[in-house]
Amino acid sequence: MIEYLDILDSLGSGLLALDLEGNIVFLNRKIGELLGVTPSRWHGRPGQELADYVEQLSGSVPSLRLELPTETGGIHSREIEWKSGEKLRHYREDRAALRDASGNAIGFLFAYHDISREKSIDRMKSDFISVASHELRTPMTSIKGSVDLILSGFAGDASPEMHELLEIAQKSCDRLVRLVNDILDLAKIESGQLKLIRVPTDITEIVVRSVCAVKTLADRGEVRLRVERPGPLPLVDLDEDRIEQVITNLLSNAVKFSPPNCDVVVELIAVEDCVQCTVIDKGRGIPEKDQRRIFGKFQQLSEGRKRGGTGLGLAITQALVEEHGGTVWVESLPNEGSRFIFRLPAAAGKPQLQPDPAS
Amino acid sequence: MALTRVLLAEDDADIQTLVRISLKMRGVEDVQVTENGEECLARLKDFTPEVILLDVMMPKLDGYDTCRKLKENPDTRGIPVIFLTAKTQHYEIEQGLALGAVGYLTKPFDPMKLYDQVVALVAWSNKS
Repeated sequence: MIEYLDILDSLGSGLLALDLEGNIVFLNRKIGELLGVTPSRWHGRPGQELADYVEQLSGSVPSLRLELPTETGGIHSREIEWKSGEKLRHYREDRAALRDASGNAIGFLFAYHDISREKSIDRMKSDFISVASHELRTPMTSIKGSVDLILSGFAGDASPEMHELLEIAQKSCDRLVRLVNDILDLAKIESGQLKLIRVPTDITEIVVRSVCAVKTLADRGEVRLRVERPGPLPLVDLDEDRIEQVITNLLSNAVKFSPPNCDVVVELIAVEDCVQCTVIDKGRGIPEKDQRRIFGKFQQLSEGRKRGGTGLGLAITQALVEEHGGTVWVESLPNEGSRFIFRLPAAAGKPQLQPDPAS
Repeated sequence: MALTRVLLAEDDADIQTLVRISLKMRGVEDVQVTENGEECLARLKDFTPEVILLDVMMPKLDGYDTCRKLKENPDTRGIPVIFLTAKTQHYEIEQGLALGAVGYLTKPFDPMKLYDQVVALVAWSNKS
């Protein structure tokens, strides 16, 4: 017959249970191996005594710290480093209340999962991104630089045909550079390496910067840009560069897909506890069946590919908005245009801004 | 200001050519090219550049260690160093600037603007 204790002893994760006074009521075999102790010798002894013993063994490396959760609800997780012999290993510690059949808290359970392999894969991924980016950028620099120099006329006059062919090479290289930058951005976000520097900000300032950034593109396509902010807006805790990247991406898409003599409007309003930014264009719109998939990687519509898009812009936009705790979506009707909308949570406890009379 | 003497440490032959041509076309008379950090440090015994352009990933001695050695040596500490590299991640840029470089230019760079960017960074470092 299988005993419950045998099951717990066979687990690959370390388990430690304390009663409400902090005394050890159970250690499984795995945690004995991790800590280098014999489980049976520690039953009934204070958990803190075990923590002190382990800390003494592992020297200066922060090791087991039995912090009892202050609330008895939910599972609390944190990552800790643990020295096992000469090796530094990474663990995820989950802490939760132990309850009896009536739901009363009777103690605490600590579970330790070895995440050293995941950590090492994360590091490899990060190194790969760095090396791949470097290895791609170097030849791109040579190609793009050489083509740019020839097109500048420095090396003599090129025939009209040569000029045309070199312009193709230049455009393709620019697209390749954008693609590498986008892949790198997305890989950074997905691997959790993107560090947002968030400060309470009036998003209007960021919108104005983005409008300036796409003005040349808009002028070229004879598209007018307008910002509307009808009421006061709360500040948002945001990373200026990254939200500028989001708005610039949405704006340049709107401009690229707008027919001449149309307006592209950025509307800023406060909704519930959020700031909502909507980029409105009068382009051909997006069929309903495509509205969800365009936020996927390399999911651009054929029109986007023709206009030199990388197919990653909206995936990056969505990832960046979500990193800020926000949401993004599109509302569109064929031949009537599209509204790309994102919401970011307002900064807590910050004063409201006054409306800009010149908006 | 006008630059006349530039030292480049870069292991990629094509980038060496590109930098040399783009600086020469703007009137830099002497662009000396070295293959790695060690060669770069050795060249300074008989060449005094107005600025050093450093790639980061190079054999023997990489750009970061080269910059560290340049800044430790009282004879070379005053020469402005600018990184010219494909290492574009935020922490890599911070690392380069923390070593005392006056600028961090990333690849791909625009060869038509390289000279102006280098001059602006050197002028700024001279002022400060």
